[in-house]
Amino acid sequence: MSKQEKEPLFSAKNMKYLTGPFSANNPVIVQILGICSSLAVTVQLKPAIVMALSVTVVTGFSNLVMSLMRNGVPSRIRIIVQLVVIAALVILVDQILKAFVYDVSKQLSVYVGLIITNCIVMGRVEAFALANKPWPAFLDGIGNGLGYGMILVIIAFFRELFGSGTLYGFRVIPESWYMSEGGFYSNCGMMLFPPMALIIVGCIIWVHRSRNKDLQEK
Amino acid sequence: MAKKQFKCKVCGYVHEGAAAPEKCPVCGAPASEFVEIKKKGLFSDKNGNPYIILYSTVMVVVVAILLAVAALSLQSRQYANELNEKKQSILQSLLASEAEKAGMEVAEYAAQEGISYDSYIKAYVLDAEGNATEDAQVFDLLKDLGGSFAEGKFPIFVAEDGRVVIPVTGAGLWGPIWGYVALEGDMNTVAGIVMAHKGETPGLGAEIATPKYQAHFVGKKIFEGDKFVSVTLRKGGATEANIDHEVDAITGGTKTSDGVTAMLFSSIAHYVPYLEAHRAAATASEPLPAAAEVSNAENVENNE
Repeated sequence: MSKQEKEPLFSAKNMKYLTGPFSANNPVIVQILGICSSLAVTVQLKPAIVMALSVTVVTGFSNLVMSLMRNGVPSRIRIIVQLVVIAALVILVDQILKAFVYDVSKQLSVYVGLIITNCIVMGRVEAFALANKPWPAFLDGIGNGLGYGMILVIIAFFRELFGSGTLYGFRVIPESWYMSEGGFYSNCGMMLFPPMALIIVGCIIWVHRSRNKDLQEK
Repeated sequence: MAKKQFKCKVCGYVHEGAAAPEKCPVCGAPASEFVEIKKKGLFSDKNGNPYIILYSTVMVVVVAILLAVAALSLQSRQYANELNEKKQSILQSLLASEAEKAGMEVAEYAAQEGISYDSYIKAYVLDAEGNATEDAQVFDLLKDLGGSFAEGKFPIFVAEDGRVVIPVTGAGLWGPIWGYVALEGDMNTVAGIVMAHKGETPGLGAEIATPKYQAHFVGKKIFEGDKFVSVTLRKGGATEANIDHEVDAITGGTKTSDGVTAMLFSSIAHYVPYLEAHRAAATASEPLPAAAEVSNAENVENNE
């Protein structure tokens, strides 16, 4: 016990829990979790970033709470317990946002439900938090949330740029380029639909695997 | 002292008593071969039913209390936020086009003009015949506007300068849509519109919530002669013949556009008695602008 406590909070091993999900163990492109929400919220950058931050908070704290509870949870009903904890956490966060930062909660409104059902949250609780101490579990949750958010932002970047010609709501491709204004350019309408997000995820996985030979399946 | 149970590890004989027997009566093994059988507590087995039932009961109660406390303690703040948002939407529907001309945000413009909701706007509730009564609970009606319409209660907001704001509600493609339509003092011309939605497709149907799209509605007319026609979102673009009553629908957002058309028609229809009464009053008290135009035209002809 005392030996464990002496381990520094940000030891190399703990940092690996945090940074691993960024690339080598990324929840979206390696674990293939959370695909559906990464299709739903990536039409524009802003909702993607809001979603990324909220998922990070929820994975972090649900991992922490479940890790604290791990010794008491009967394994036969652990999935139900996880669901209750995650749902309660999300509702609580939603209530607090509604009361104190109403604008943010309006942004989030649709996504709150998506957070609860996001398989990354339950995936990490089930795979990591139930078998590890609270602090590493918390780091793992934050790391996976950020890894997920990173992919979301990349997808949203391409979809908003080519789908709407804007980035974070600001016009990037000049109006004068558009065909309606006598130019040569027109937005790619496909980018606004979810299938294109799936294709982008595929491209990201392709690039990622070709750079990380050890991830390639034989 | 309660009796304990001891089991012989060699032959399985179970002895009851305060301590293990010195010798096993069956196989003759010494006392050291006996182990105590511990009586299990009801909740000691983590995967036993009693523990699971206890655990889930406690968990549910704790979570329920937590959520109830959070919901109750934050309720008043949330309500204030929602109320404020509605008031801002109403102000925005009235002031958006003026603020746009001044190149300012609505909030900035309102502050500059010294306009605040409470001093500028009075809320009334209409009955089916269009008779207005003042009602302090009008914002409660907005919470379930469809239900209020069904009950024959129609909230309306009257600005100081005679313009009115009508709340509207309907269904888009994926979920509810709602908004506020501001009409000029002639009860005919749209002065501004604010719309919001729960979950229309971003980039397509969700465009109804952007100020850029809402600006198309300004100046449209909801009456054709004396007939209520509302404003229609036409797929393929507003036609020239009907330009006063039509707005371009959103490409790729046809269902949402149809929803907006239906929402505007069915919601504003409830207010037609009130609008007609006030139109009559407005045209009676003011010199008829239409007649003046005709006489101008006649003058021109006469001069020529």
